[in-house]
Amino acid sequence: MLGADDRLDSALLAAHAANDLPNLSRLYTQAADLAETRGDVDATCFFLTQAYVFALQADCVGTGGLHARLVAYRREE
Amino acid sequence: MTAFPFDLSSVMQPVAQARGLPNPFYTDPEVFQVEKERVFFRNWAALGFITDCPEPGDAKPVTFLGQPLVMVRDRDGILRVFQNICRHRGMILVQQEGPIARVIRCPYHSWSYELNGALRTTPHVGGPGTNRHDAIKRDELGLIEVRSHQWMGIVFINIDGQAAPFEEYAGDAIARYADFEQPRYRCGDEGTFTMDVASNWKLAIENGAESYHLPWIHPGLNSYSRLEDHYHIDSVGPFCGQGVTVYNPSLSEDGRRFPAYSGQGEKWANGAEYPMFFPNVMIGLQNDHTWAFIVEPVTHDRSREHVQIFYTDPDVAGDEWAAMRRKNADMWAEVFAEDVFVVEGMQKGRSATGFDGGKFSPVMDNPTHEFHSWVAQQMTD
Repeated sequence: MLGADDRLDSALLAAHAANDLPNLSRLYTQAADLAETRGDVDATCFFLTQAYVFALQADCVGTGGLHARLVAYRREE
Repeated sequence: MTAFPFDLSSVMQPVAQARGLPNPFYTDPEVFQVEKERVFFRNWAALGFITDCPEPGDAKPVTFLGQPLVMVRDRDGILRVFQNICRHRGMILVQQEGPIARVIRCPYHSWSYELNGALRTTPHVGGPGTNRHDAIKRDELGLIEVRSHQWMGIVFINIDGQAAPFEEYAGDAIARYADFEQPRYRCGDEGTFTMDVASNWKLAIENGAESYHLPWIHPGLNSYSRLEDHYHIDSVGPFCGQGVTVYNPSLSEDGRRFPAYSGQGEKWANGAEYPMFFPNVMIGLQNDHTWAFIVEPVTHDRSREHVQIFYTDPDVAGDEWAAMRRKNADMWAEVFAEDVFVVEGMQKGRSATGFDGGKFSPVMDNPTHEFHSWVAQQMTD
């Protein structure tokens, strides 16, 4: 998985297999945070998008914050 | 659409001179395809029940005459019907019935829609991590809503969007049954059932329209709902059917009755009516419960009948009413099952090349004739 370490990568695959939407959102947010610390904006927004979509689907508490981060990068309406 | 290749003028004659619809209306898949457009898509067809999606967030995919649809109740409690497809690549959106937490996410590229149909996000549509693009105008790409209306606990749809407003289309029925514009409740699972029937959809409506068959097919009714207590409803459109002046079911040994609606006119104190609302739903209206019987056309010779019983008071869901609910549901299920024999028999009979559509009784078959005439009119307009 781009920019994510192996442990995170495995956790993401497991969460996908389990269709665990809140966990998917949480793990993709972690991946976004890691990419952001590297200054990789495209990877950050890719992972933020993944996190945002799963948060929306599961109606997670953090949906608004993910949306705001994408809007700040001018990647979301 | 090319000119319809049947002369239906004999069907639209007065009942004493008329013949019924010709055999191909029951045996020909091509006629069924024309009916789909002219009878169902142009009018207000019954799709399902308001209780199919009782809670905010509930969604139920329904395939109706090949159309992939989805019923969705949004967070404000508003029930809508959409085409069950993503505006991106036409992928089916909702695969199974159940609650939706927040958005309908397409399982293909994850375009996501609010429960009111608005397009909420289009992930990576402008490239990885970019969810917007000038060519993707979200306010133009919401779910395609199908015109719908709820009445008597039934969800009606007008697929081509061109029918008169429901209030106009059904004005006479709405006025006649205004006393039943009251809350209705699904109480217990036994009041919801379906039956698969090997017959054209019209035969169930034709059969339900008239009381002529009651003493022969439903002998159990003879004791408390005799033929002479029945009358026909016709010349009102777009519905016909039958009524009874003596509605007095025995569902409990101690004479207990389900709670009745209040504020109804005297007519409903002891009377009940069973209108066939064109094209495909029969409605039962008694003062203590109502039901809807939707005939889903599956193919030219197969139908699925969906029944939902509604009560007047949510307390009827309680255990103290369970035995009576069961008895009531069993009684109606028995009546409907008794009709299967004749609608399937008439379907087989429609393969007889010598059958000319049939001869109506000018006294007892008026509602059936009216339905035939209405169908003929839809098909030739």
